[in-house]
Amino acid sequence: MIQLTNIEKYYASKGVKNYVLRLVTTTINQGEFVSVMGPSGAGKSTLLNIIGMLEEPTYGNYHFMGEDVTSLNERKRIELYRNHIGFVFQAYHLIDEMTVYENIEAPLLYKKVGSAERASRIADLLDRFNIVAKKDLFPNQLSGGQQQLVGIARALAAQPSIILADEPTGNLQSAQAEEIMSLFKKLNEEEGITIIQVTHSEKNAQYGNRILHIADGLIKEDIKIQA
Amino acid sequence: MFRLNLKIALRNLWKNKVYATINIVGLALGLTAFVLMILYINHEESYDKWSPDLKNVYQIREKHDFFTPDNKEHWNEVSNSRIANLIRTKLPQAVAVTKVDNDWSFGSGYSVKTDNADPVMVNKIKDSDSSFFKVFDYQFVQGSADQALENKNTIVLKEDLALKLFGTTRALGKTIKIIRWRDDKGDLFTVTGIVSEPKTPQSVHFSAIMRTGNKDRDPDEPTNNNYCLMFTKLNKASDTLVLNQTLQKLYVDFRKNLLKGQEEDYEDMQKPKKLPGLKVIPLATVHSNPPYTLSWFEKLKPVMAISAFLLLVSIINFINLATAQSVQRAKEVGVKKVLGSYKSQLTAQFLVESGLQSLISLFLCIVLIEMVLPAFNQQFNVALSFWHNARLLVLIAQLVGLFVFVTLLAGLYPAWVLSNYNPVAVLKGNYENGLRGVVLRNVLVVFQFVISVTFIISIGVMEMQSRFMSSKDLGFERGNLINIKTNYEDNFAERLKKIPGVQYVATTTQVLGNSFNVPEEIKYKGKPIKLNTVTVTMDALPALGVKVLQGRIFSREYKSDTVNTVVLNEAAANLFGKNLIGQTYQKTDWEGKDNIFQVVGIIKNYHNEGFDKAVLPTVYKVTRLGGTSNTNNLLVRFNTAQHKEIISKIEKEWRMLYPNFPIEYNSLDDAFSKVLEENRRFMNMIVLFSLVSVSLSLLGLFALSTFVAKRKTKEIAVRKVLGASNIQIVSLLNKSFLILVVVANLVSWPVAYIIIKKWLEGFAYRIEVPFIPFAAATLISVIIAILTVSIQARKAAVTDPVNALKYE
Ligand SMILES: Nc1ncnc2c1ncn2[C@@H]1O[C@H](COP(=O)(O)OP(=O)(O)O)[C@@H](O)[C@H]1O
Ligand SMILES: [Mg+2]
Repeated sequence: MIQLTNIEKYYASKGVKNYVLRLVTTTINQGEFVSVMGPSGAGKSTLLNIIGMLEEPTYGNYHFMGEDVTSLNERKRIELYRNHIGFVFQAYHLIDEMTVYENIEAPLLYKKVGSAERASRIADLLDRFNIVAKKDLFPNQLSGGQQQLVGIARALAAQPSIILADEPTGNLQSAQAEEIMSLFKKLNEEEGITIIQVTHSEKNAQYGNRILHIADGLIKEDIKIQA
Repeated sequence: MFRLNLKIALRNLWKNKVYATINIVGLALGLTAFVLMILYINHEESYDKWSPDLKNVYQIREKHDFFTPDNKEHWNEVSNSRIANLIRTKLPQAVAVTKVDNDWSFGSGYSVKTDNADPVMVNKIKDSDSSFFKVFDYQFVQGSADQALENKNTIVLKEDLALKLFGTTRALGKTIKIIRWRDDKGDLFTVTGIVSEPKTPQSVHFSAIMRTGNKDRDPDEPTNNNYCLMFTKLNKASDTLVLNQTLQKLYVDFRKNLLKGQEEDYEDMQKPKKLPGLKVIPLATVHSNPPYTLSWFEKLKPVMAISAFLLLVSIINFINLATAQSVQRAKEVGVKKVLGSYKSQLTAQFLVESGLQSLISLFLCIVLIEMVLPAFNQQFNVALSFWHNARLLVLIAQLVGLFVFVTLLAGLYPAWVLSNYNPVAVLKGNYENGLRGVVLRNVLVVFQFVISVTFIISIGVMEMQSRFMSSKDLGFERGNLINIKTNYEDNFAERLKKIPGVQYVATTTQVLGNSFNVPEEIKYKGKPIKLNTVTVTMDALPALGVKVLQGRIFSREYKSDTVNTVVLNEAAANLFGKNLIGQTYQKTDWEGKDNIFQVVGIIKNYHNEGFDKAVLPTVYKVTRLGGTSNTNNLLVRFNTAQHKEIISKIEKEWRMLYPNFPIEYNSLDDAFSKVLEENRRFMNMIVLFSLVSVSLSLLGLFALSTFVAKRKTKEIAVRKVLGASNIQIVSLLNKSFLILVVVANLVSWPVAYIIIKKWLEGFAYRIEVPFIPFAAATLISVIIAILTVSIQARKAAVTDPVNALKYE
């Protein structure tokens, strides 16, 4: 599904190249649940952003579902966002002016899903995440864990094939974090959604089936976890 | 999607109530000034457009120098009455030609009597011929265009006048008596038609059109001319360029014929470089092409520029605030982008938001207009209406256009800035450091302050010029002097002189409020000099209270004063040279006879027109030698300030002598106020605009400083923890804004200087560009800017730093 070949990323400052990623080469297949780990500043977020096409690598090759990402135009990329990629953020990034319901609905509107279908999908997600009662509240009326549930529901609404989550539980207490992680595991196992998450917690990483250890912009370890 | 965007837009407006209010109110203010101007322009544009038939109607204009205010040649609206016949007979395209009275500013009304009722003064009753309603397409409520003026002594009334005189519009066949001047015995007229008031204003504005028969014929003597307005209706709309060439040829032939057998022949007449001319202009362009004054469009240009500027300023505020606020919206943009929104969708969303605000502003503006329109109408002497508008559809289309324009102008840039936010930067959380828009924002703040400061300077200079004018020595004593609208008649004058308190009774053709210029050329020591001739009675100059510079003014003691003596004003004397008293000059009259005049005195120039016009070089004479002129001015000077009683005595005398004609008079103080009035009006308008402009700038500055203070909450908190005092923090915030205001002042000084100089040059009597208003404007702008910013800065400074830091 994802094929990274010799990905490099650096920021040039005063003529010096500050490498964030060096010669990263890896393949992530459909249905994997990958946890990216490493010290702060190692380049984890940068890697995830590159996978999510939010940033461009300075050098290297990236194929997403067989397509060369470097030659994608903006429209195509947006089509990928609409149909294949769901983002989950550490800071949730819900839209403050929209209710829970509207936040989840937004990607469906962009995807031009019909209104009946939209209603049933949202009802389904609200139900599944146990937030039906909260659907008319605004984000600032929710707890952090609830906001992140909405964030995930929003990411799932468009039925993506992959979810990219940058420290999704970084701001949460461990009980809530566990809930989110089990949810990811379930989505991965039951619906075959590919998940790539960045995490600092060894425990959270265990929910997945593969761990990429990154340090100094290099993949130091690539561990398969046997279930 | 649109519905959701609208909903979010409303939520955002509600969340940022203060900004939204400032935005909307500001925009509404700007729009109000602009829409008022549109209403005014629509009104002026709508002149003479009440019927499609008027497309074939043309006004005849002749180039000559009779009755022109500066004695120079102009394309006049009033033309030699003989031209009507010329066109009627020589121009085959002409279906009808009509002659009609012009509006004369002084002595406009006629006294009208119906049956036994008291006489009433009615303005704008105009004499015309049988063709008037064949040229102008009016709707007849009673009677018909073909037959109404078929006979002499008939009159067609507008509905309003019929109602006023008879209480009904069914007045066909009734008779009225019209007394045209004081001792006119009056003529009876039969009402043969009632026409309704057209939807649009008319340049030939009348309350009634009568046919006395005077307009049916031309004077017998070829040297006697009647001047009146003339209009012709052609069989089709024509190319005026071609038409006017034909007319010019016809006209030259006509002049040659007319002068044949006269001493002065055509070649002679052309000697002093006078090129006679004749042309027609479409009726639709008459109102926008007045012969001597600037057209309404030219006059309005500065106002249009100002109101466009004000609209621009309010839009600038809008843009400024929107971009300043955009930081808050950045996250939304970033998230939406990763959810799969196209940039165009985001742009559309932000445009919906600005559209919503400009729509609300537009409604607010309509409400404001309804509120200010009565005052506006009174101030500018117009009758504009928003809803009762002849061209409401046009107006609505204009407003829709304005709405789209404002929305795009105000919304496009912020929408572009917002929709360009890079999601990674936003989602990483370091989007605040973007300097985007800061430079532009500063430029925009400077721009609005340039406008405001320029306004303040202008007001200052205008005020000083006004003071200069109202306190200027007029060269005559305007107090205790009235001017009765009538000519000099010995019997009446003698009766007035007997009233205690009356010092002088006199007449002159040149006095503030009603000056009538007769140009002439004289020869002094072989040198030709162009002068303006004024006929006065013996007492006129003393009655005016003019100042004698050299020699003497007229007096009964000198027999020669009724023979050939003249008094010059300073401007005329300057054309002659030195040592003038006792000198003589020659003037050849129209019969070719040389008359000799002797100069006996020189008086100080006295003002008889607005300060925009220089006093003309003028010669005053009592003698009939060389011809006289006459106009309705009867000056009465009192030797006491107790006017009431004297005036009532004058009125009594008047009623005894002229029972059929009401008396009309004005005081010279009023005439003087009238001269200042136009300027006063203009200034009031500028003051109004300045208030709007300054409040807009301050609104903008207030909002921006609120925003900056809010954004710097954390910085302020940190500084306070580090030990900064409140004052230090207030001045920290003030500094950046103050620099902008100072820059604005530096820019506006030269701009204001140029504008002010140009404005002052419109006055023949003016002050030098003063320095004080410049300094004052700078001081004022700096002080109010500091006050405005400090309100917010203080608020930010005194808040507890812990609160600000806790939430990070
Ligand atoms: N715009 C930028 N300019 C320069 N350096 C950057 C920029 N963005 C990120 N970096 C650097 O890249 C490195 C990796 O960042 P990141 O991928 O966010 O690390 P993490 O593994 O903690 O997620 C960091 O050292 C950071 O300083
Ligand atoms: Mg990171």
